[in-house]
Amino acid sequence: MSNTEHPVVKKKKLAPDRCIVTGKGDWYYPLSDIYETPDNFTVVIDMPGVSANNITVDMQSNELIVNGEISQEAYTDEKLLYSEYNIGHYHRHFILSDAINRDKIEAKMSDGILTIILPKAEHVKPRKIQVKEA
Amino acid sequence: MNLIRWENTDPLEGFTHIQREMGDLIDFLSSGSKTEGYVGAEFPQMVVSVNKDNVIVRAEIPGIKVTDLDVQVADDILTIRGERKPNMGEGAVTYLRRERNFGTFARSIMLPEKVDAEKVAASYKNGVLTVTLPKAAEKKPKQIEIKKS
Repeated sequence: MSNTEHPVVKKKKLAPDRCIVTGKGDWYYPLSDIYETPDNFTVVIDMPGVSANNITVDMQSNELIVNGEISQEAYTDEKLLYSEYNIGHYHRHFILSDAINRDKIEAKMSDGILTIILPKAEHVKPRKIQVKEA
Repeated sequence: MNLIRWENTDPLEGFTHIQREMGDLIDFLSSGSKTEGYVGAEFPQMVVSVNKDNVIVRAEIPGIKVTDLDVQVADDILTIRGERKPNMGEGAVTYLRRERNFGTFARSIMLPEKVDAEKVAASYKNGVLTVTLPKAAEKKPKQIEIKKS
């Protein structure tokens, strides 16, 4: 996780609440789930067709920016007969609150699914309070 | 807080405000996720293409085990069946947002040409299933030699 801006991120205008991106190729808004466990928040994003080394996950101030790029060489000397989905890059960003320990964010990719684990900061984790007998 | 002079308030003023708010809301809803087609459409989404020797069918099925996928060809019907399991973490989880679908699916499509069912190959990479179906021999164009008599 580096702080340097990904070149794609620099080129784009990011509106705060919606995904407006420009650049080479089409951009899509991937579907994602977010769930919470006692220790973490987990973001699961569907990015079919993207391999692990074509994904960038960046932290920029309090935004977590996810870009998945797809190589565009598909369908060479093939004739498309029927197409229900278009090939394009994926982009999605999330605003993180202070409840997340930003130094320990982990991301992994398998079978077209990106899983980002956002550990909770110590002060928001549930904890037991010892009751002392007075 | 803006102070508005009493004599300037038009009883219809409030409506223009509501109208603008509604307009913004509609803009927001229609611009947000561009995936309405995905959710409503049949799963998995497919792309069918042909080249000289093969019919190639691609389907976006992220996050499925190869053992949970079943691909069958009968005559010129290709059937893809499978189950996408919910991605559950261990222990109690609370969903905050849920856009991805899971469950069993089955989809059949008619292939554009006769294929050789014995030689069908399927591969799964990065969440995309690619089925390569070689065209049946008799469908390939055959060069006919012209003899000069």
